[in-house]
Amino acid sequence: MSQRTEEMRTYRVGDVLPAVTKTITQAKIKRYAEASGDHNPLHLDPAFATTTQFGGTIAHGMLVLAYVSEMMTAAFGQAWLRGGRFKVRFRGAARPGDRVTASGRIVRDEGGKIFCDVECRNQADDLLVSGDAEVRVR
Amino acid sequence: MTVSLADLPKGHEFTETRLNLTPDWAAEYVRAVEDEAIEAVSGHSYPPLALAACSIRALLDQAALPEGAIHVGQELSFSLNRDTEWEVVARARVASRGERQGWVLMGIDLSVESESGAAMMSGRATITFPVSGGPAG
Repeated sequence: MSQRTEEMRTYRVGDVLPAVTKTITQAKIKRYAEASGDHNPLHLDPAFATTTQFGGTIAHGMLVLAYVSEMMTAAFGQAWLRGGRFKVRFRGAARPGDRVTASGRIVRDEGGKIFCDVECRNQADDLLVSGDAEVRVR
Repeated sequence: MTVSLADLPKGHEFTETRLNLTPDWAAEYVRAVEDEAIEAVSGHSYPPLALAACSIRALLDQAALPEGAIHVGQELSFSLNRDTEWEVVARARVASRGERQGWVLMGIDLSVESESGAAMMSGRATITFPVSGGPAG
């Protein structure tokens, strides 16, 4: 079975969604901290971050997750914004210099409600985020 | 002095926060996350995670993250109509709290409604931090 989004793309179970790739930088982390108001020193203060289990600053999980949302918006448009849902776990840290790719695959279609597996990995193929997303397309 | 999330019990309700979302705020968020898809969707100027970000911001204005806090999970659902709602109300509540092997696992329910009461976003952030965690920084 296939479904059409408002953008008239057609997706089928098993299809891979167009991936979104971004490079993390400390400047981008700082910009996200300003926009979100999350000034946790784990993200912003290298001296503090080196004392943590991460050994350096890491990106906000919600910044990395935003790449998943961008992928879903690009794939499903209004349908994602009007009634999207997702549930993810943060599995690893994205660090300055990392190239992060958000990807997804359609795994189920229940009468117009599409279910996707989604994840983010870095350039070393380390899993950073994994979970599932759903969107009603009709 | 801002209380630490570490001090809050299960059931704690954060003070409801009214937020005035502005086009400048939306543009700043979109720049920060480099969202290249949202501008192609007619009538929408910000992605759904922007609402999550501002609800977390409202929460952090009331309680500091404990030192060593890590965001381990996120659930979100949203219902965004075209940009007609710029005045919204954010709510948050400590929905769960447990301790295991020296770490606290805390679930915080988040929601954002329009001024007219329409649900725009709801979800749960799960964080963990050391049992003895003081405020970060």
